[in-house]
Amino acid sequence: MTESSEELDIRRAVRDRYSKLATSNGSDCCGGVSCESPLVKIGEQIPVEASSVYAGCGSPLQLINLKEGDSVVDLGSGGGIDIFRASQIIGEKGKAIGIDATPEMIWRARHTAEKYGDKYRNTEFRLGEIEHLPLASNSVDYVISNCVINLSPDKLAVFRESFRVLKNNGIFAVADITLPKEIPDISRKDLDSWSACIAGALTDVEYVRLLQVAGFKEVSIDHVSTTNIGEYSFPYFSSHIKAIKKI
Amino acid sequence: MRRKLLDILACPIDKHYPLELFEVKSEGDLIVDGALVCTQCNRYYPIIEEIPVMLPDELRNKNEDLDFLTKYGDKLPEKIVKQGKPFHLD
Repeated sequence: MTESSEELDIRRAVRDRYSKLATSNGSDCCGGVSCESPLVKIGEQIPVEASSVYAGCGSPLQLINLKEGDSVVDLGSGGGIDIFRASQIIGEKGKAIGIDATPEMIWRARHTAEKYGDKYRNTEFRLGEIEHLPLASNSVDYVISNCVINLSPDKLAVFRESFRVLKNNGIFAVADITLPKEIPDISRKDLDSWSACIAGALTDVEYVRLLQVAGFKEVSIDHVSTTNIGEYSFPYFSSHIKAIKKI
Repeated sequence: MRRKLLDILACPIDKHYPLELFEVKSEGDLIVDGALVCTQCNRYYPIIEEIPVMLPDELRNKNEDLDFLTKYGDKLPEKIVKQGKPFHLD
């Protein structure tokens, strides 16, 4: 498929915004409009280097029961917070792979892993695009993502790639922004609101439909919170979305 | 990257698997610098400071790729240096 220049513009705008966040020390929370806390369990240890650049809208790990030896891929892993959390559950035999298109985020996550030595030996970060996953087919148990897929200009490609890399009965579990209804075109064209997670967001109905087109079964969406603030005349949801690959 | 991760890496363009690994600098099972090559489309993906750079062509930086090939030209096979996709040395 050839890509429109508009799509490339979106991808560049998104990378720009998040590379600035990676080199800062503040969290962004999807444009500052949908700040959910990372929903950390009591006693859970998370490197501050990862949580300080956190920009999520829910907790995909809450949706699944990770166990020792599982393999999990995080689409748009950012500072690595969910990868580091998963790493502690899946143990030495597991694999936690973070993929992000922003070099600064990947370097930051790697330096964090390095700083804590052998503790995060089962983690890997690689620079890649979630529309073109650098992973073998049928290779992982879980695909997770936190407030990233709304940034993609080609979400069906992301869902198809997720479906491809998951093993049979593998689970897609993400947190993302969704909308109750279509938003005006004018908002869609604003690249700034795109990287603030709103302009690119799908409606609930469309989210479910595209996951089904990609082949997923048992698709569910739960709204974690509803927000209606600022310049937008419509509410949007921080949602937990889950789907299963069953062949 | 760690060598054991090779068993799930694939080419992001044509999904070919497994990829061929060329190591330039390693520490135990950790590959610090090197390249991954898709034997199907002959695309190479640099590994720089442990991170495999596995972006599609349009997001790659031509100058950085050529610098990488120039730096490691004598340690990588000719099929990458002279014919590798998407950018190679003349």
